[in-house]
Amino acid sequence: MTAGGWIFLALSWGVVSGFVVFCFYRIFTKIGFK
Amino acid sequence: MKEREQWGSRMGLILAMAGNAIGLGNFLRFPVQAADNGGGAFMIPYFISLIILGIPLMWVEWGIGRYGGSLGHGTAPGMFDALWKSRLAKYVGILGIFLPLVIVIYYTYICSWTLAFSLFSIFGSYPSPDSISTASSASEYLKPYQAYLYDFIGASGGGTWLSPEPIAYVFFLITLLAGLWILGKGVSGGIEVLNKIAIPALFAMGLILFIKVLTLSSPTDPSIGVTAGLSFLWEPDFSGLLDAKVWLAAAGQIFFTLSLGLGAIMTYASYVKKDEDIALDALSTASLNEFAEVVFGSTIALTSAVIFFGMPGATEIASGGAFKLGFISMPAIFTHMSYGQFFGFLWFMLLFFAGLTSVVALSQPVVAFFEDEFGWERKRSVIVLGVIFFVSAHLPIFVSGALDEMDFWAGTFGLVILALLEIIIFFWIFGADRAWEEITRGAHIRIPRIFFYIMKYVTPAFLILILGAWAYQQLPSVLAKGDTGVWVTRGFLAVLLIAHIVAVRIAWKRRRA
Repeated sequence: MTAGGWIFLALSWGVVSGFVVFCFYRIFTKIGFK
Repeated sequence: MKEREQWGSRMGLILAMAGNAIGLGNFLRFPVQAADNGGGAFMIPYFISLIILGIPLMWVEWGIGRYGGSLGHGTAPGMFDALWKSRLAKYVGILGIFLPLVIVIYYTYICSWTLAFSLFSIFGSYPSPDSISTASSASEYLKPYQAYLYDFIGASGGGTWLSPEPIAYVFFLITLLAGLWILGKGVSGGIEVLNKIAIPALFAMGLILFIKVLTLSSPTDPSIGVTAGLSFLWEPDFSGLLDAKVWLAAAGQIFFTLSLGLGAIMTYASYVKKDEDIALDALSTASLNEFAEVVFGSTIALTSAVIFFGMPGATEIASGGAFKLGFISMPAIFTHMSYGQFFGFLWFMLLFFAGLTSVVALSQPVVAFFEDEFGWERKRSVIVLGVIFFVSAHLPIFVSGALDEMDFWAGTFGLVILALLEIIIFFWIFGADRAWEEITRGAHIRIPRIFFYIMKYVTPAFLILILGAWAYQQLPSVLAKGDTGVWVTRGFLAVLLIAHIVAVRIAWKRRRA
């Protein structure tokens, strides 16, 4: 795979992983689950 | 006003909404769309569509749903009637019950295949032809597996009528009854409990399969490894970015994957308390869906297809569509994989959980309509839904072409129309400022103000563009189809739509009386 392919893979997986972490971090630290 | 049910916990709500969004499309449709539309470069229009179409519409549907729920309405007819003071509003809202019902009628049948195939996997019932290395092409090699699927669903003979194996009908009944049983337990006691089990289990199975695929090696060519598999989907082809088809495919995928324009999100959101957060919860739901799609969905099926069949074989499979990838090539791959029976079971069980949680979500609008607008008890509502469901499902089970026809009108065209109506009614008729206040009330996150303008101008314009382009591209060929099965399906859809109009009319007459 070329560097371009790896960049798109890493960015896409990174964005969606970061998205999950961001949302659940906000919920866990600020509010918690009730 | 009758006391309505509510979600038992915030986690339950998020998982239920995620279960609604995560479906078969995350694992079967997404990789095929991405591979066909520019690979890694597809992710540019995909993420842009997520930001200007997906997330705004999520907020709109959550906002309309919570607002409607606070007034005792769990479905679009009542919600639109509350937002838009017009006699037409409730009839326009019919789409919010009609579309999920039509989709769930055929989706349940497909979901039942995944349950059946999970057991076929564990018992090793698939055909076992010669080594892959002796096959002239992937399609040639996959013929026995294709025949296996076609025999199962009774599509081998051609013609108008399908003759599925009795076991296919049995699995359909099991899936239907499971869905109805869960619905009968209620929002908190049934739907929430299901999703609290199914979604973590789905992610656990996805992770196991993801790791397995990353450690696979080709049975025929040692030079083809996981890197080649990943490159098939992720290698960017930037020329596609200049093609409108790629942008439409990306926008369409965002629509399908987030289950937008179906009415199901609004119904689930109607069980959220009036001042509880929806902004962060909607985002959290979208994040879980995106992770399942972009990480697991991009890797499991297509990467293993490349490793087992090579690039040309995977190209053939991808061009054959999602069913070929999921139900024909994957059984072949598991047959030749170490511990394939176990991993095959996991794969189809993952799809079954993804499907069942969506089946329940798509069924709930009808139940909510009966409960809220007719004042029926849950048990009665579920039984009536079950009868409608059972009778209607015979169409996609026994009539050739019915599934595709229903999928086009409800699962492709209808959902864009409903989404457009939602955003126009909420932001342009109810009022943009009031809509914004409704979405941001009780929010545990600050939504950037730019989304106000995106929701008011950009998202509706994008929807009109998609609708126009799809009508131009697909309507002529769909309307040109005229065989018996297609006309039977169109007649059925027309009767079902009229029944919805009559039901809404009766419900509103009763309310006035």
